[in-house]
Amino acid sequence: MTLKVHVLRTLLSGAALLIGVTFLSFVLMVYFGPPLEYTLLGKNPTAEQIESVRDALHLNDPFFARYLHFLHELVTLDFGRSIVTGQPVGSLLARTVPISLGAVLPGFVLGNLVGLGLAMVAAHHRGGWVDRAIMAASVSGMSVSLIIVVIVAQVGLCSPLGLNLFPSRGWRVHGFGDYLLYATVPTLTLAVVALGYNTRFYRTVLVEAAAADYVRTARAYGATPRRIMLGHVLPNALIPITTRVLFTVPLIVVSGSLVIESFFGIPGIGQLTFDAIQSNDQPVLKAVVSLTAVLFVIVLTVSELLYNAVDPRLSHP
Amino acid sequence: MARRAGYEKGTVRRWRTVVVAAVLGGGLAMALTKCGGAPDEKTRVLRHSFDEAPRTLDPLRASTVYTNFVLLNAYDTLYAYKYLARPYELKPNLASAMPTVSADGLTLTIPLKPDVFFADDPAFANGKGREVTAHDVVYSIRRHFDATNLSQGAWLWRDRIVGLDQWGRDGADENADIAGLRALDDHTLQITLTGPFPQIVHTLAQGFSVVVPREAVDTYGQELAVRTVGSGPYRVTAFDSTSVTLERNPRFRSEPVDLDYEGYDAEEHAGYNLDRIDGRSPPFVDRIEIDFIPEDASRMTSLTKGDEVQVARVPAPLYENYLSSKVPPSLKPAYAQDYNVLGVLEPGFLYHSFNLAHPDFGYSDDPEQDQRNRALRCAIIKGFDWPTRNERFYAGVGQVFPGAIVPVSPEYRADADQTSITHDPEGARRLLAENGWTADTLPPLVYAVSASVRQQQLFEQFRGFMQAIGYPREKIRLKQYATFGDLAEAWKLSELPLINKGWTLDYPDLENIFQLFYGPNQAPGSNEANYQNPEFDALYRQASVMPPGPERTALYHRMNQMTIDDCVSISGLSRSIIFMWHRDVIAYPDRNIVGGHWTRYADLID
Repeated sequence: MTLKVHVLRTLLSGAALLIGVTFLSFVLMVYFGPPLEYTLLGKNPTAEQIESVRDALHLNDPFFARYLHFLHELVTLDFGRSIVTGQPVGSLLARTVPISLGAVLPGFVLGNLVGLGLAMVAAHHRGGWVDRAIMAASVSGMSVSLIIVVIVAQVGLCSPLGLNLFPSRGWRVHGFGDYLLYATVPTLTLAVVALGYNTRFYRTVLVEAAAADYVRTARAYGATPRRIMLGHVLPNALIPITTRVLFTVPLIVVSGSLVIESFFGIPGIGQLTFDAIQSNDQPVLKAVVSLTAVLFVIVLTVSELLYNAVDPRLSHP
Repeated sequence: MARRAGYEKGTVRRWRTVVVAAVLGGGLAMALTKCGGAPDEKTRVLRHSFDEAPRTLDPLRASTVYTNFVLLNAYDTLYAYKYLARPYELKPNLASAMPTVSADGLTLTIPLKPDVFFADDPAFANGKGREVTAHDVVYSIRRHFDATNLSQGAWLWRDRIVGLDQWGRDGADENADIAGLRALDDHTLQITLTGPFPQIVHTLAQGFSVVVPREAVDTYGQELAVRTVGSGPYRVTAFDSTSVTLERNPRFRSEPVDLDYEGYDAEEHAGYNLDRIDGRSPPFVDRIEIDFIPEDASRMTSLTKGDEVQVARVPAPLYENYLSSKVPPSLKPAYAQDYNVLGVLEPGFLYHSFNLAHPDFGYSDDPEQDQRNRALRCAIIKGFDWPTRNERFYAGVGQVFPGAIVPVSPEYRADADQTSITHDPEGARRLLAENGWTADTLPPLVYAVSASVRQQQLFEQFRGFMQAIGYPREKIRLKQYATFGDLAEAWKLSELPLINKGWTLDYPDLENIFQLFYGPNQAPGSNEANYQNPEFDALYRQASVMPPGPERTALYHRMNQMTIDDCVSISGLSRSIIFMWHRDVIAYPDRNIVGGHWTRYADLID
């Protein structure tokens, strides 16, 4: 199979996935979303007013007419305006996505890099006390709730009971100094929370790769442990690592991190999504769900390409 | 070996690229979020906190305490509530005097202050705010009756003002006149009512009634949900899901504070330094930053940090951390030096209404069954343990009272009969037995809540109360709705036997509470209990057009007793709200009824 055919197949399956996901999410929103007419109307609504609101929101239109309208919005990337704030959904996303990236991305990268480093150390000392200590710390880290880590970080770093070095919440970013001030604690929190999961996962992957024949051969040739780890084990473990990293990206870009954004008062996409769920702001929800699906399809395609780059055998069976 | 070294270098290069990309990505994202320059350090900033976020700043949807709070800072209302007077008292705000009312009570003439200007905004010609006129008031109220606007506030004036409803039904023609809502000239408004409605003045102090210029609506349309163009003391300069920033409106009129007129009491308000604002013209701070912090621990961390939030509501689960006593609230020594504290009762209540349209608990065409159902409701009321609910869920600081006359109202009587709120499981069991109710014949009782742990705990406690009066455990059933909207729909459609909810007074007049039991307001209206009592309805119509006084109070008490005798609801409890704020903030931060009006008087001790 040529690379072109492989990519085409991936894109086709991605398109099918996209239609399935959007249809499913649309059905869920239409039939299981909270009724808007009762939240939009004030006190003492009459039956006539309720009907009038339903008409205004096209809730009385046939199902497929509404679904086709939704697909049209998706294709044109024009999701209209938020029912709650009246702002264009596009401008809401344009405002919140960069904030989420700025707040969440450093913690995500740090958590992965440090996790990978610790995993390499643990894999290298497999079975030894260093390995056990790192794994014990990882399991402990995985066992602690994110909210507990947030509270400990806020008290320890942002309150007079601790070091009181950073603001406890907010996102009043006017320059790089402000950015460091407001992003540091969320970054550390995210990194700490992700570290346990990442270290454990990466160690498993690396240990498996280290058991391969070519590693034994490399050892027989007298390669140094560092060279074996960086030159042979790590490149061969890149497929699961890449998969894990890439498939997290859409969640960061479109979903953000609700808990982090909520506890640290960061007006990102996670907070926007949560508010939209609570108020059944369907234009926003449709945009977030659809764009997440689109991004997943893109990631799927990119990861397929990367697999081929990392391991050319995949496209030449 | 050279090939291996190259492989290794390639790997290192790849990871280096990842690191650089991440740093650049973070930097880029930071650059994208960068907005404006750094704030001036000398700016005097009041930092407040809300325990929930306002979803919108559109006056058409000012249905929450939080939206209302912000709107009252950015816009003007014709009337407002005095800062410190309790019971609450109205005063002119944009109006220059209280209305002149015709002899028949149907025509109100309201004079407006001259030389009041909207804040400068690009919506106006040359960006310069123009004078506020009576035409703007007419425009702002009739916006609610344009069906395309989906107003949540039209109910305040529905069927009250001559021609207004019909204007909306006729298509809301902007050029058409409305007979009952006219600007006689730039500074005189005339309202003609369809019938006596003394509460109209209260409606003109609500966030729904703020004065919006037509230019702003034409320019920004739906985006008025996130920006403001008003004539209030502040204007919104930033608003998102986590905070709102208001800057002083430099064109706000000069109106020196008369503390005595505002209801100042040297003894009651001692320690708050309020005397420092007497005779000075607000607003006193340059900027108000309000953080929306629903998480209790985060909010209190921010408050006690010292350089962040200065005013916050103390959450009930954390009272023990900060308070040495709860009623009245006083702070622990560690906090008493640096903070003020204030406890106020909410202008509303929590209650459970029976759905009287429900066949198992409500009215029946069979007189005998009707009587049995009433006995069943009365027994459930007797079995409900209000003191325990208050202690477990509201830290014991709420106030339990009989019926619907809330403690903050002037009509409240502490010596009223307490039978309907006295826990009497023995009496309940007796009543059930006398009316032939047994474990086998008792109908299933569905207790519906929106999904949350706390709501489930409320159900568990309720089930415990009911088991104690002989209700089989399996017949007290929990029904969880995913969202409050789902639950509200079930109430409106009369699907549930019991409606457990809270009601906050829109304005301090019991008419606003008793409408909950007025027959014509039956579901989907606010009478979700579907209570039908012609005698009550007649008294409601009579009392609602009377001025405050002993005669009206007597009618309200009769109406209250009717709802108690008919066992319409398990009622009620008013929660206490405790605020804590830094001692260097001059304020009386009671947001009840007064709303965001208090922040115009807030100052800082430098």
